[in-house]
Amino acid sequence: MAQQQFSTVGKKIPRIDAYERVTGQAQYAGDVQHPGMLYACVLRSPHPHARIASIDTSKAEKVPGVKAIIHHRNAEVRWSSGGATAPRYIFNNPVRYVGDSVAAVAATDRHIAEDALGLIEVKYENLPYVLDAKEALKPDAPKIYPKGNLSVGDGSTSAPITEQWGDLEKGFKEADRIFEDTYITKHVNNAQLERRASVAKWEGGKLTVWASTQGASNARRDIAKDLGLPLSKVRVICKYMGGGFGNKNQAQDYDLMAAVLAKATGQPVKLEFTREDDFIGMHGRWASEQHYKAGVKKDGTITAVELNAVTNVGAYRKSSGNLSGTDFYQIPNFKKVVNPVHTNTVVAANYRAPAYPQSVFGFASFLDQIAHDMGINPLEMFLKNRIRMYKSKSPFTSNALEECIVEGAKRIGWNEKWHKPGASSGAKKHGIGMALGGYPFRPGLGAATIRVNADGTAHLLVGVVDIGTGAKSTMAIIASEALGIPLNQIQVTNGDTDVTPYCVGESGSRCTSFTGPAVIAAAEDVRRLIFNAAAPQLKAKPEDLDLKDGKVFIKANPSQSLPLSRAVARSGELIGRATTNPAFKGVQGKSFAAHFAEVEVDTWTGHVKVTRYVAAHDSGTILNRLPAESQIKGGVVQGIGMALTEELLIDRPTAIPLNPSYRDAKVPTHLEAPEVEVIFIEPYDPYGPFGGKSLGEPPITAAVATVGNAIFNATGKRFKELPITPDKILHAVQV
Amino acid sequence: MKSFANIDVKSVREAVTLLQKLHQEKKSAEIVSGGTELLQLMKDRVATPQYLINLKTIPGLNYIKEERSGFRIGALTTLTEIEEHKGVREKLLFLSQAAGEAASPQLRNAGTIGGNICQRPFCWYFRSANFPCLRKGGGICYAVAGDNRYHAILGGGPSYIVHPSDTAPALIALGARIKITGPAGEKTIPLEKFFVLPQVDYKRENILQPGEILTEVQIPHPKPGSKGFYHKVRERQAWDHAIVSVSTVVQSKGGICQDAHVVLGGVAPIPWRAAKAEAFLRGKKVDEGTARQVGEIALDGARPMKDNVYKIGMAKSLIQRALLASV
Repeated sequence: MAQQQFSTVGKKIPRIDAYERVTGQAQYAGDVQHPGMLYACVLRSPHPHARIASIDTSKAEKVPGVKAIIHHRNAEVRWSSGGATAPRYIFNNPVRYVGDSVAAVAATDRHIAEDALGLIEVKYENLPYVLDAKEALKPDAPKIYPKGNLSVGDGSTSAPITEQWGDLEKGFKEADRIFEDTYITKHVNNAQLERRASVAKWEGGKLTVWASTQGASNARRDIAKDLGLPLSKVRVICKYMGGGFGNKNQAQDYDLMAAVLAKATGQPVKLEFTREDDFIGMHGRWASEQHYKAGVKKDGTITAVELNAVTNVGAYRKSSGNLSGTDFYQIPNFKKVVNPVHTNTVVAANYRAPAYPQSVFGFASFLDQIAHDMGINPLEMFLKNRIRMYKSKSPFTSNALEECIVEGAKRIGWNEKWHKPGASSGAKKHGIGMALGGYPFRPGLGAATIRVNADGTAHLLVGVVDIGTGAKSTMAIIASEALGIPLNQIQVTNGDTDVTPYCVGESGSRCTSFTGPAVIAAAEDVRRLIFNAAAPQLKAKPEDLDLKDGKVFIKANPSQSLPLSRAVARSGELIGRATTNPAFKGVQGKSFAAHFAEVEVDTWTGHVKVTRYVAAHDSGTILNRLPAESQIKGGVVQGIGMALTEELLIDRPTAIPLNPSYRDAKVPTHLEAPEVEVIFIEPYDPYGPFGGKSLGEPPITAAVATVGNAIFNATGKRFKELPITPDKILHAVQV
Repeated sequence: MKSFANIDVKSVREAVTLLQKLHQEKKSAEIVSGGTELLQLMKDRVATPQYLINLKTIPGLNYIKEERSGFRIGALTTLTEIEEHKGVREKLLFLSQAAGEAASPQLRNAGTIGGNICQRPFCWYFRSANFPCLRKGGGICYAVAGDNRYHAILGGGPSYIVHPSDTAPALIALGARIKITGPAGEKTIPLEKFFVLPQVDYKRENILQPGEILTEVQIPHPKPGSKGFYHKVRERQAWDHAIVSVSTVVQSKGGICQDAHVVLGGVAPIPWRAAKAEAFLRGKKVDEGTARQVGEIALDGARPMKDNVYKIGMAKSLIQRALLASV
C-alpha cells in the first residue's frame, strides 16, 4: 500500500492533554485523596540474605495513628508477576537483598507510618550472600534458591537462554580473522519522574485501585489473580501517568500492599514510594558481562558470531535477562548462550528496550573495534553488516536501516569528521562515533469503542494509559484520521478498566500497533452506521458515501454534502466497536535506527561532553511528529546517562546500595543533553496502523554504544566497561 | 521525617540565646537559613532535630555591600544573588562562577552563602541512615573498606569525607574572612581557620560552637595585577559535587608571580590550601614547567585510597591549567 495523503496523521500536534498536565489539573495516582484515607510506608531489609526469625510489632502498634501493620506472617499474598524462578510474595522470608520488603504500616499520616517502621523489631538470622553474577554461578556459591543461582523459570524465563542458527564452526572456518572480547555493563535505574504510588479502596467486595501503571488491564489481571478476586470485582484507574520505562508494567507489590492494608483497616490507603524505595524496591536494568567471538572476512563481512554472557537479574526474576544487541546485523552463523543469574542485589528487569542498550553497547563496540583492527572505516563496517533478513531467513515487513545509516552519516558529516582514532590533538580531543539499534514491532490484540454523538462529536474509549509517549493523543489522531472527524471534536476516555475496553498496556513498544488497528476498525464500524443514517438524507446509497472533515458527502460528487451533526442529529448515539488481533505470516517486524554522535573528551579532567547528536529512525509512518521527536531525544539522553554517569553502586562490605537517589545516581540533566537532530525515514509498513511501526523503545538502544564509539575515535582508547567516568578516562589516557 | 518544632526568630541575638538555652537543656536544634541541605538530612533521618531555628525571619541578613575595603555579604544571601550580582561579577574574579556552579538552579535560589559554607558532608555513608559511621557517632569510617572513589586524598583520617562547598575554596583563595556571632559577641576570623580536620575532631566540619552563627562573609578587593581561575570537575554538569575543584588567584607582574593562592576543593575534609606550592610559586615566572612543579608540590603527601588515585592526576592537571590561565 502506497503512502496516503493524511489529514491528521503525520503532523506536529501538541498532546491533547498537555494543558491539564502542565497546569496541575491532571490527577495522577499520587494526587488521589479520599476522606479518611491512610498513608502507608514499607520497611525494607538491611541485610542481603537473612531468615526472619521473628517480627515484633507491638511497640509500633502503640504509636497513636498507626492502624495496621502487615508482614510475611499475617499477609501471605503471592506477587505472581514479581518472580518467575520461585513463588514470590509481597513479603518474603528469607529476605534476599538489601531492600526486600519486610513489613508495611498504614497510619493517619506518612510521618507517623515512618516513625512506626523504626519501632518494628525484626530478628534476622544472616545467611551467606553473593553479589557478583559470575561468583554466583560457582558451585560453592551461597544458594539463593534451592536449585542454585542460575535463574531457571518457564517459557520466556527459562535458562540459560540459547539461540542459534546456521553452522557456527563452518562460519568461523570461512573467516579470515577471528576476534574475541568482553564488555561489561552495570545496573541502572529506570528513574522515571513519577514515583510509584497506589491508592486502594474497597466498597463492599469490590476493590478500586488508582495505580501508576503502564497497563490498566494487566494490573487488574494481576491484582485479581493474587487477591483471589474475579476480574469484575477489581477496577484499576490510571488516567494520567508519569513514566515507568518498563518498571510499572504489571501489578506491583505496592498495589497489593495498599489493597491488603485497605481491607485490614476498612479505610482507603495510599502507598507512595520514596525515591529511595523507587531505586531499590522495584527494579532497574540488568548488568551484564558479554563475551563475543566473531569470524570476519577480509572485506569486513561477518561470517559467524558467538556470544556467551551472564546477566545479573538480582534476587528475583521478573524478566528475561536476555541480550539482543546482535539483532541489527546480518549474521549467517550465530550462537548465543545467556545465563541470567540470581544475586543478593536489587532486582533487574524491564527498562526501556530491556535486552538492548547494554548488548548494543557490547556488540557495536566490538564491531567498531574490529573495523579499527582491520583498517576499515566504521561506517562501511556497519553498512556492510546491517541486517537484511531476520535470523538470516525471514524478510521484514519493512526495513529502511540502510537509508537511516546513509542519511544519518550525511547529516553529521561523517566523511569530513571521521579521523584515525586518537588522532585528535590537544588536551581536548574530538571524535565521532556511530551504532545501530531498533526494536521489534508486531501487531496483536486490541480493542476500541467509538461513540458518535448527535452533534457530530465523538468519544473514543481505549484502555491505553499514557506513560509519556503521547499514546492518548496518538489514539485520538488515529480515530480522527479513520473517522474523518476533526481532532478537536474527539474526546478520549482512557485507562479505566470499568469503562474502557481491554488494552495490552504500554510496554514492548506495542500500544499503537495493538490498539491502533482496533481504533481504525471501530471507526469503520461507526462510519457504516453514520452512512446508513445519512443515506436517505443525501438520497444516496450508504456505500457511495464518505466522511471527511466532519462532512458526509457523495464520493462521486463531493459537493453533495451534509455536516455530520445533521446527518446523525436524530440517531441518539451511534456506537462502533472492534476487537482486532492481526498477526504476521512468514514475516518479521522491526523498527530500526542509526545513531551518530560527536564528543569532546578533556584528557586533563576526564570529562566527556556529547557536543552533537544525530538520530535517524525508521519507525514506519510517524503518526505524530512532536512527541515522536521527544521520544527520541529522551531515549538518547537516557543512553548518554548510561554511557557516562549512571550506575547503581553496591557497597561491597555491607551489600547496601550507596546511591539510590536522583542526586547520587547521576541521572543526566539538561546540561548533559546535546541538541538531538532527528531524521525520520518513513517506509509505509503494511502491517502497522497507517503504516506506523514501533517507537517507544528504539531511541535508547543505540545511544550508549554511539557515545562509546565516539570516545574511542577521540582518544584511541576502547572503554569496555560502563559507565565511562572521568576516573576511567584518566586511567586510560594519563599513562 | 521526624516531627519537630519550628521557631521563627526576629534577631541574631534571639537565635543565639535560644540555641544556647536549648543546648543547656540537652535538646537538639538546627539552624535553618536556606534549608535545602537540612531538609534532605531530615528526610533521610540523618538529622533528627527537635527544634529548628529559622533565621529567615531575621531582617537584614541578606545583603551584598561593596565598600572601600571590599565586599560584605550577609549569611542569608542566596547563591543566585551572589552569582548575579553585578559588582561581584566584575570584581571578585570567579566567586560568581563558583556560586553559580553549586548545586542546581532551584537549590541556588534557596540555598544561602552561610549554609553553603556550613554544609555537612555528602559522603554516601554519612548521608545514609543505614551506616552508623564515625561522623554520626559510630565506630568506623565506612569509606576505608568501602567505595571511596569520591573521598579524600589529602588530610583524611580517621574520617575521609571531602568538604562539599564550592564557594568556600573560592572564598579562601580570595582571602575572605567571616563574622561569627555567639554568646560572647562577635568575632571575625579568616575563613581558612573556620574548618576542622577530622584528626582534630571527626564529628564536626567547622569550629562553630553551640549558640554560634556565621553571620557575614567579608572579601577584600583583589590586589592589582591579580587574575583568578576557577574550575570544577564533576561527572554531571549540574547538581553534582566537585570531584576536584581548583581556585587560584595569582598576582603577577611581567609574568613573574608576586603572590598566589591555590585552594583545592573535593580532595580533603576541608577546603585544601596548597601553602607550600604557593610559596614555591612566589617570585617565579609562571610557565608550563613551573605550573607542573606547583601541581607536584601541591599533591605531595597525597594518600589515595583504592578507588580515588585518579584524583591526584586530575588535581595536578587542574592546577597546571589554572596557573597557565592566570598570567
